[in-house]
Amino acid sequence: MNWLKQLTSRQKQYSELSEEIREHLDEKTEELIATGMSRQDAAAAARREFGNVSLIEEDSRSVWRWASVEQFLSDVRFGFRILRKNSGFAAVAILTLALGIGANTAMFSVVYGALLSPLPYPNPDQLVMVWSKTNGHRNSVSAGDFLEWKRQNSAFQDLVAWSGGSFSLSIAGRPEIIHARITSPGFFSMQGIPLSLGRDFLPEEANVGANHVAIMTHSLWLDRFGGDPRIIGQQIRLNGESYTVVGILSAGMPDRFESYLFVPLAFTPEQINHDVRWLAVMGRLKTGVTLQQANADMDAVTRRIAGDFPASNKGWTASVEPLKNDFTSRDTIKDLWLLLGAVAFVLLIACVNVANLLLSRATMRQKEVAVRSSLGATRCQLFSQFLAESLALALIGGAVGIALAWILLRVIVVLLPPFSIPTEADIHLNLTVLLFSLAATLLAGILCGSAPAWQSSRCNLSDALKEGGRSDSAAGRHGLRKTLVVVEFALALALLAGAGLVIHSFWKLTRVDFGFRQDHVLTFFLPIQADRFSNPEQISAFYRRLLDRIEAVPGISSAAASTGLPILGSFGSVPFTIAGQPAGDAAARPGTGFSAVTPEYFRTFGIQITEGRGFSEQDVANGMPVAIVNETFAKKYFSGVDPLAQRVIVDQLIPGSPRAGSPIEWRVIGVSHDVRNGGIHDQGFSEIAVPFWQSPWPNAGVSLRTAGDPAGVRNTIAAVIQSVDSDLALDQVRTMDQIVHESLAGYRFATVLFAAFAAVALVLAAIGIYGVMSFAVAQRTHEIGLRMALGADSRHVLVLVLREGMLLALAGLVLGLGGAYFVGRTMNSVLYEASAIDPLAVGSVAAVLFLSAVVACYLPAHRAAQVDPMIALHHE
Amino acid sequence: MKKDNDRDLFPGALEMMILRTLKRQPLHGYALVQHIKRTSNDLLQIEEGSLYPALQRLLKAELVKADWSTSATNRRVRIYKLTAAGKKHLERQVSSFERMIEGITRVLAPGES
Repeated sequence: MNWLKQLTSRQKQYSELSEEIREHLDEKTEELIATGMSRQDAAAAARREFGNVSLIEEDSRSVWRWASVEQFLSDVRFGFRILRKNSGFAAVAILTLALGIGANTAMFSVVYGALLSPLPYPNPDQLVMVWSKTNGHRNSVSAGDFLEWKRQNSAFQDLVAWSGGSFSLSIAGRPEIIHARITSPGFFSMQGIPLSLGRDFLPEEANVGANHVAIMTHSLWLDRFGGDPRIIGQQIRLNGESYTVVGILSAGMPDRFESYLFVPLAFTPEQINHDVRWLAVMGRLKTGVTLQQANADMDAVTRRIAGDFPASNKGWTASVEPLKNDFTSRDTIKDLWLLLGAVAFVLLIACVNVANLLLSRATMRQKEVAVRSSLGATRCQLFSQFLAESLALALIGGAVGIALAWILLRVIVVLLPPFSIPTEADIHLNLTVLLFSLAATLLAGILCGSAPAWQSSRCNLSDALKEGGRSDSAAGRHGLRKTLVVVEFALALALLAGAGLVIHSFWKLTRVDFGFRQDHVLTFFLPIQADRFSNPEQISAFYRRLLDRIEAVPGISSAAASTGLPILGSFGSVPFTIAGQPAGDAAARPGTGFSAVTPEYFRTFGIQITEGRGFSEQDVANGMPVAIVNETFAKKYFSGVDPLAQRVIVDQLIPGSPRAGSPIEWRVIGVSHDVRNGGIHDQGFSEIAVPFWQSPWPNAGVSLRTAGDPAGVRNTIAAVIQSVDSDLALDQVRTMDQIVHESLAGYRFATVLFAAFAAVALVLAAIGIYGVMSFAVAQRTHEIGLRMALGADSRHVLVLVLREGMLLALAGLVLGLGGAYFVGRTMNSVLYEASAIDPLAVGSVAAVLFLSAVVACYLPAHRAAQVDPMIALHHE
Repeated sequence: MKKDNDRDLFPGALEMMILRTLKRQPLHGYALVQHIKRTSNDLLQIEEGSLYPALQRLLKAELVKADWSTSATNRRVRIYKLTAAGKKHLERQVSSFERMIEGITRVLAPGES
């Protein structure tokens, strides 16, 4: 600990040294006075004999230091002082760096929180999702498979299954839909989510009859039950039935879950089969078991199951995947990384800008450098001095940047589409993020400081000291500044081209033909349980009554019930065959999107029937089964034949049962325009629609077309539904415009951020070229004056300066095209209908950049043209 | 970075002279530099101040130690003393210095060739 002792005793050493030197001078002075000198002369002589007191003291002190580090720190301190003296310059540079560092810090917080940080559970690496897999595609898991996996595996401490659901929670007679998770007991204990009150589900609560218990999130408890701790043991009404509350989750992260309510998953004997796949399965690996070992174990297990149940499980295996980011879409992951890349560009551009500023300032500080080096400063000392100044600059910029990031992060979190990033993600400025910012700051300091420091430390003494001397090194410096501007423009073009691609692709998405009219439509779901009806006729009767009452409301032109809604998805995919064609293996039937809709569905959504007719009220349960296929279906399966003469065989749906019934021949009576049922990207999928009255389903979507604002009839409709059934709540009440808007949220997020970062880059690039040209004009005032004195007119000078700036911008743009191509190729996979080189996007951003360069150069050019030759020539 | 304070001497010479002087008797800085100047008959032009960085180096290397006391003229002074390590170091330095001087003398001697 010698160095520690040194550090603490150092102050003492220093003061002792000062005292000693003082005593020395005193003693010498006294002695000289004794020889007859005056006190004043004696003091001067003593000092003369002694040498340079402060230098000697400094040298003596430096014996005790870690020379280089402390020297550098004192350089940084000096740097801060210099910056204080040049507050204007410092403000611009600091703000520029702060923009870059702030944007990087904010984006990194998001990327770190969403993608990199470990999940907030004990031993998070042990948590895995286990999916069924066939033909390389993962799938949900059947109850039978899950139970077998649980029994046969040797890799997991525990396996739990869950399914989503929703319950109508009635408080004081007012029903409300709550999203719920129906989960195996042990889920919270296994994952490591603590409860703040009560207990986790017990194993025996996985049995029908014992499963009327519930756990809720802290936020639901606070919102709906006022945070009353006596809730434990109390009954709540879910779907009209009594459930006992047994636990409340802890506050914080679980409140971000998509579900607020949890009930035990209890399988009915009918549900335990191997062909209906509807569960999500999570597991915790045994200590020391790797993912590969778990996959190998599951391979063995699934092979055994496939041997036992070949009809349902032939070709089905399982895939064990880390829980981390298993629910984050690849697009989101790519978007986030791309945005981080974009802000890295912004930081680079900011660094180039500050480097330019430093260079121009270095030109003005040439004399200072010359004086320093003539006083004995070595080149290394000068270099480290200049670097220290840029580091001081970067450090302040970093501090301001972190404050900026704090604000930016608030905006980003608001913009982030809900549930696009893992619910565990806690996005804020934590230690890791701050370390990242520090690294970015130091990097920025070195990046923007190195070139100017190198240039400045290479000083030609005699030239610099000559008054008004114009030296070669100044020309070289200007060359470097021009190079930097070219680089800056190239970087800016690459980034702007990326942003242009994103914006163009978003623009295309917003004008896609979704196949339906989204205006003036209100939609909602009715999450009615199947056991409410004893037969399909009751379902039809219920919805008929409901739709009649809705249509009776003034201002509503049509209302429809359907098993799915555009964008949100149809009923699902069903296997089918075409009558008259050879029926192959039942398991090898092709699949098609399937939905059951009431006759008014096509009118409500404005979906065109391109051939044949739509459904009518005559297409009822005991009539001939009819179907409408979409254009893709007709093209794909009825090419060369009349679709209206075809019949499609699809198994009957049995309400409330996941199993299919007997096959039915549906006669094709019409062809409809393609509708993007599966989401805005969904395109080219075949679909079949059948009359809802011929294939009723208990929990359906309801849509209605209004004359006025669809959101305005919301309460009226809720009242109508209540009049039919007072226990029934509406789920997900939204206008179709809203649904489309929400489904674009992910793209909007990326687009807005990209555009914002690109705008920053554009401004920085413009400032950069403006700075260089202004400085060039200021430096060349003499030359311009001379030119004008020799007969050049102001127009000529204007063109001269503009041309120089334009050449720089053009060189940068040409260089940037290569970068743009590279960026485009990277982004290609993420974007909607975009190619690597999007001439429109690249062309327009190049034009914007060039225009900004013209404006930025015009100002200094105009100033140059106003130069009065007399003043310019007198000036030096 | 380091200023060459003992420009007229070879590196380490000043330290050697300090150690040698202190071997005779402990002294404070001012007395030390006066002694060196006097005994060299003022042949060595050293800045009085250049003594101090050298003293700090010796202190840091623990070849000397320093204690505050009061001088005969009632002045607060810091008296430097040679340590055991300092004594050993001085012997090594002197013998290598003598070898060097001998070598130089031989080279400089009016040769027979």
